[in-house]
Amino acid sequence: MTDSIDRRRFLKVLGVTGAGAAAVSACGIGPEPTERLIPYLVQPEDQIPGTATYYATTCRECAAGCGVRVRVREGRAVKLEGNPDSPINRGRLCARGQAAIQGLYNPDRVAHPMVRNASGTFEEIDWDGALQRVTAKVREAQGKGIVFLTGAEQSTFGDLVDEWMKQVGGRRLSYEAFGFEALRAGNRLAFGTATLPTYDFANAKYVLSFGADFLDTWLSPVEFQNGFSRAHAFDAGRPASMAKFVYVAPRLSLTGMNADEWIAAKPGTEGLLALAMAQVIMSEHLARVPADASRLVSVLAAHTPRAVAQMIGIDETTIARLGREFARSGGGLAVAGGMATQAANGAEVVAAVNILNYVVGSVGTLVKFGADLSVGATNTFADLTTLTSDMTDGRVALLFVHGTNPAHSLPGAFQQALAKVGYKVSFSSYLDETAASCDLILPDHHPLEQWGDSRPRAGVIGLQQPVVQPVFGTQPTGDVILKLSGKTGTFLDYLQAKWRARHAANFDQYWMDSLTKGGVYSDAPTRPVRLATTGATFSTAFAEVPSWGGDGDQTVVVFPHPALHDGRGANKPWLQELPDPVSKIAWHSWVEVHPDTAAKWGLATGDLLLLQSKFGGQKFPAWITRSVRPDVLAVPTGQGHSAYGRYAKDRSANAFELLGGQATVYGGRSFIVRTTASKTGEHQRRIATIEGNVRDLGMGTTEVLTLARAKALHPGDHPFHFEETPEYAKDAVEWWADRQRDKAEIGNYKGEQPRWGLAIDLSKCTGCSACVTACYAENNIATVGEELTERRREMAWLRLERYWRVDEHDNVQGAVSQPMLCQQCGNAPCEPVCPVYAAYHTPDGLNGQVYNRCVGTRYCSNNCPYKVRYFNWYNYAEKGGKYEAFPEPLSLLLNPDVTVREKGVMEKCTFCVQRIRGAQNQARLENRNVRDGDIVTACQQTCPSEAIVFGDLNDRNSRVFELAGNPRGYHVLAGLNTKPAITYLARVVAQDTASNG
Amino acid sequence: MVLILALPPVVLNGQQAQSASSQTSRYQAPVISDTGALKGTRQPIFFRHDIHAGQDQIPCMYCHYSAAVSSEPGIPSLQTCIGCHQVIGGSTPTHQAEIKKVRDAWRERKAPEWVRVHALPGFVRFPHMRHIKGLSTRLGVDANETCTTCHGDVKHTTQIEQVSTLRMGWCVRCHMKNEVTRDCSVCHY
Repeated sequence: MTDSIDRRRFLKVLGVTGAGAAAVSACGIGPEPTERLIPYLVQPEDQIPGTATYYATTCRECAAGCGVRVRVREGRAVKLEGNPDSPINRGRLCARGQAAIQGLYNPDRVAHPMVRNASGTFEEIDWDGALQRVTAKVREAQGKGIVFLTGAEQSTFGDLVDEWMKQVGGRRLSYEAFGFEALRAGNRLAFGTATLPTYDFANAKYVLSFGADFLDTWLSPVEFQNGFSRAHAFDAGRPASMAKFVYVAPRLSLTGMNADEWIAAKPGTEGLLALAMAQVIMSEHLARVPADASRLVSVLAAHTPRAVAQMIGIDETTIARLGREFARSGGGLAVAGGMATQAANGAEVVAAVNILNYVVGSVGTLVKFGADLSVGATNTFADLTTLTSDMTDGRVALLFVHGTNPAHSLPGAFQQALAKVGYKVSFSSYLDETAASCDLILPDHHPLEQWGDSRPRAGVIGLQQPVVQPVFGTQPTGDVILKLSGKTGTFLDYLQAKWRARHAANFDQYWMDSLTKGGVYSDAPTRPVRLATTGATFSTAFAEVPSWGGDGDQTVVVFPHPALHDGRGANKPWLQELPDPVSKIAWHSWVEVHPDTAAKWGLATGDLLLLQSKFGGQKFPAWITRSVRPDVLAVPTGQGHSAYGRYAKDRSANAFELLGGQATVYGGRSFIVRTTASKTGEHQRRIATIEGNVRDLGMGTTEVLTLARAKALHPGDHPFHFEETPEYAKDAVEWWADRQRDKAEIGNYKGEQPRWGLAIDLSKCTGCSACVTACYAENNIATVGEELTERRREMAWLRLERYWRVDEHDNVQGAVSQPMLCQQCGNAPCEPVCPVYAAYHTPDGLNGQVYNRCVGTRYCSNNCPYKVRYFNWYNYAEKGGKYEAFPEPLSLLLNPDVTVREKGVMEKCTFCVQRIRGAQNQARLENRNVRDGDIVTACQQTCPSEAIVFGDLNDRNSRVFELAGNPRGYHVLAGLNTKPAITYLARVVAQDTASNG
Repeated sequence: MVLILALPPVVLNGQQAQSASSQTSRYQAPVISDTGALKGTRQPIFFRHDIHAGQDQIPCMYCHYSAAVSSEPGIPSLQTCIGCHQVIGGSTPTHQAEIKKVRDAWRERKAPEWVRVHALPGFVRFPHMRHIKGLSTRLGVDANETCTTCHGDVKHTTQIEQVSTLRMGWCVRCHMKNEVTRDCSVCHY
């Protein structure tokens, strides 16, 4: 090739000889402002500046009770990681857990007690004054109705509240917006126990979910995702196998996307499918059915596949096939919940699914009662409606609210009832809707700032300890209640006394061990259960397709948003900017509309649809998708707050407004409602989405194999084809490769170096997006806000691309989720075009990005075929700037090991180079080499499915080397000759056709 | 003003009670009468490295405790200072005045705000412990003797100044001389 002037020389020469060139200044490092060094007065024993200290505590972002380790640098919590000792999450953590520190350092936290003054606004008050008021109010209200409302709180704190309420003659209620009333009632119906069992997904051979979103919002998502991954990921052992996953629901949730088969039964008829399957299993003797199941014969006989096929809208051959597959797998696990249990027959649906498990012998093996999940011990929605009517009738003189926000999830009824309560005290850390309606706010510490414990299930007590000093002038509610009840000591004393009562021998050592491990862990006790029903009520319960509450001609399913859930995540910018795993929409709600329905209405994505039920109406922008039934609309909860801080307030619409306040017959709430849908003529010009094209378009970005094909692979097979280099380009490619080989012999590049690489197993990745939030936390990535996300300026270094999988009839069956991040190409297109050598190839195989060299030409991003380079268009770190991403005190969670980027600088995934260098430094100090497994990237560490593996591709003994050679492995856009360091392992589906969109 | 430096070890501050013969080789820190003419950064308390590290032979890492294990060298906590200075009050009025500041700070629980002398920009990651380890291996000396490579002769310096430019060229030259990595991403990430 010609030795033409290269780009960098050209610009250098241009700069020097250009007319009017500015004087070349000799300044290297500019003048820095004078820094002060403020030493400790007394050096803390366990903290070394510059190194991290880890504290074990318990995550309180949902009721699952995962154990976490908090990485603390110089007294600031900078990252949450899963605690490997906890049997619930085994060292993994979901996106909501990762975002907990944004709750700790939230700029809209209530910093000190506040009281509503005469003019109706809040004003500051001191703690003593506040406590005096409460004491007086308690005295006044005695005998007139005192109620303490908490969230799911099976803990020593809950016990303290119970004790105090008994002392003052009040009562405690616990309220979760998504309670599991149908599950409890269904378990009582089928087995005589209204408790919640634990589910052993890891040992299942066939998973069948009736609306239960066990990967995102059902019971214990991280635990179930980890177990599910063990069963469902393709295991190339002998024999090669994977558990098939079938999802039955009217819309595809995150969980549903990972199914091998989607059965879109009519909403409310899922129980019939379970009964019909059980009928097939029993009548064809496909399993060792327990003897007492014989009493079900008559009710099952009335629900043959033929009898139910029309009502549920699924043909009888499919029903029979499912039944046979379920039984023949030898380890069928059926779970029910969510959208499938929203009708009046919700309990019967659960009971029917219980029967399905029972007849194949999974109860006691894969479904284990005795765990008594704490989320199954909250009060029911019916209890809350009773409370609401008590409040309306003036029978509640004093109300305390802690850890729950009923005014958001029960707008209307509860909000109005609140006005009739004599005096309302909130312990909320944030000014949410409920707190905004209260008379006095005594802000609680954040869970990361206080002592406590939590009992998510039998056998696990998660201990909670303060990992940082309190950020604001708050006080732990436990201390406050002890003072109010006239007891001495702090909540820590109370907690230790309770723990001592459980284990007095050698208590100090026991306490220390528990603190180090993050709690006390043992297996859940198993309680055998017997069938307690003949199914006599089933015929009436399943006689008709349910009609839903409300009036209108549209069936609307309201589902919990995976990140925002019941709205509690809306004040955390990481969760708001996290694109929903299914719709890829951020910062906003939406309504899912099938293309056929949209065509009928002349609707386009972004058109605002007004949904009006008889309880309330809200406008949502439409998202046209085939992942929902044509006769169903679906809206997520989480947005539409009228208070709750700058990130949540006045954003989008509150789906809870569409729902009624009546409890179902089993005490739950129905999240499916009838509404009218009308076009408003308004249009949201752009929905903040990261969606590109939903179809893979044969580009080979995602590869899918059928189970049969995957089983037939041998080491050394190359089942995937990519574009070969065309003849005319072969010389050029070879010449280029030669030049690179020459360059690899110079200086630092000579000699043995690691080549860092990643292996991502798509048969494990569920698309849950925990890795995305972990990356934000680890790498100081800025959140840009809704407006800039609409303009595609989001900064996420790692994004999850979701491609629909379709069957031969072009019906959506599920999706493949692919994490897309910088591929650290061996032959990177971004490196040769950087004029200042900011993008370059490191000796250890990384595509380096030197922030201080970057001048912002953005040519590298232009050249990147994967589009994984992100430019700082604005100064997101500027204090008081328009797009400030870290307003005080949110800046306290920044990782000091990673540079915070300024405007004009390009950034991208670095394979957590700070962790690589940290491990290398540690190894050198210990006079050894880095071992495989020493370096764990943030995404790898948090992934509940363990889909990501990092390591040295040049080390033949490393896990990543083995996975890179796996026959399922491939590179994305391999035909471009970029030689990426990331090997993806193809998704395997337990279907006959390896469908790809 | 003239700086008085004593070169043969004449006991000037009356603090040391030593026998003459064995102390002739031991360094005696000079008396400073004009602090204004000193090089280096003025600090809120006139802490003298030449007395503490030079004369009293306190090893560097007695105070800068984390330099060998962390990227941060570690500024000593006030507790470290008070450890000795609760007993040692100073032998001259100047010394006593400065030590009184330490005791006042301890009593009032108000840490002194030292002025930072060595600072690198925010886009550089400098791991102290790697350099101490590397230099002590290469030079074959104890970790405490490696500090002079970059910080100059601290043991004989009254008021600390930045004696090396700390600019990237200076760093890279030493890396090249010692044949260690020059890869950008080792320091810039």
